[in-house]
Amino acid sequence: MILKIFAEYPPRKRLGLVAILLGLISIFAGNPNGKTMTKINAQEISMISSKEITKIAVDELANDIIKSKFDYRLIDLRDAKDYSEYNIPSSENIEVDQILNSDLERNENILLYSDNDIESTQAWFLLKTQDYKGVNVLRGGIESWKKEILFPACSCNKTPTIEQKHKHDKLLAISKFFGGSMNLVSENNTDGQNRKMPVIKTPAKVTLKKANGKKKREGC
Amino acid sequence: MTAPFYKFGFFNDEISLIIAFAIGIFFGLVLEKGGFGSARMLAAQFYFTDMRVFKVMFTAIVTAMIGLFYLSWMGFLDLSLVYYGDTYLIPQILGGLILGVGFVVGGYCPGTSAVAISTGRIDAIFYALGGMFGILVFGELFPYITEFFYSTYMGKINLPTLLNINYGFIMLLVILMAIGGFTAAEWAEKAMLKKREGE
Repeated sequence: MILKIFAEYPPRKRLGLVAILLGLISIFAGNPNGKTMTKINAQEISMISSKEITKIAVDELANDIIKSKFDYRLIDLRDAKDYSEYNIPSSENIEVDQILNSDLERNENILLYSDNDIESTQAWFLLKTQDYKGVNVLRGGIESWKKEILFPACSCNKTPTIEQKHKHDKLLAISKFFGGSMNLVSENNTDGQNRKMPVIKTPAKVTLKKANGKKKREGC
Repeated sequence: MTAPFYKFGFFNDEISLIIAFAIGIFFGLVLEKGGFGSARMLAAQFYFTDMRVFKVMFTAIVTAMIGLFYLSWMGFLDLSLVYYGDTYLIPQILGGLILGVGFVVGGYCPGTSAVAISTGRIDAIFYALGGMFGILVFGELFPYITEFFYSTYMGKINLPTLLNINYGFIMLLVILMAIGGFTAAEWAEKAMLKKREGE
């Protein structure tokens, strides 16, 4: 009956009615960006987590920052206090529980770090359930960063080969760049843990060329 | 697979240019077929004699809006990555007014002037040259108007978040507005026709 009346209308009136109907339905459809409710396929996520958590090593990150070819959003997940005491240059501070309310975009390359791997993996999961594509975790977090970049242990022999010397110089240069120092194993056997962290001035940003150099102007 | 494909890296810059070229060709074709390549047709909007351009444009808006909403709702599209510009309220109102005046006087908007050039309309060539000259003048003046240009910045806002109401409600309002607009447009067309016949 209704369909018959509908069919008798001219096409443009039919289109108008369909549009109104779709509009009415959309009121109940909710927010199309809906960020809070999702269905998670647990099987799928567990598969992904065993294979796909992409981890980036600290020396890779250090290299990229030095060469300023860094194109990740570097996210520090620790609390504001820890962040203000020390953070990796060019990082932003977003705590884990705020990660879904942040301005991170689903197509961005994101690199997460915290003290170790635990919180960054949590945040990785949260973002993954919301379909963020390029999420990465800094392997070992700040702890590795300290041990390998800021205060690398020196495995100096008395008579280093050329390669060892070269490697040693490189480590030293990197650690100096970030304001750390070499940890001479022969001198004392501490693990670098008691060393003072480099003091950072606020805002703790190294002036990198804007990481998003690739970002294009959009619009018409 | 989620759209926008380019932003999720399904294809690179080069391919994106090819795709843009193809879409551009079809867009121009549709504009020309719709009669948008004629300055008379475009100017007719402002004299209420033929509201075709208004109707086509508003139909496009409503179609795109419904499509984007439901695609995003079904999860094929990330609406938060679909680009729209930041809002600089007063400068944009002024810019819109200038564009509107140019639209009535010249009978084209920048896009339709390109369409009209392709069919060899000489007025469109002058219109486009004028546009380029305007760009030059704007560029030279920019240092003096920078402050105004960036004033009343409101960030990346949209109606649902600004007014804190449901996306769907805004959709319905726009759809009703369109249908109301179409009805009014046809009424105006008829009224103008009568008036002309009377003359």
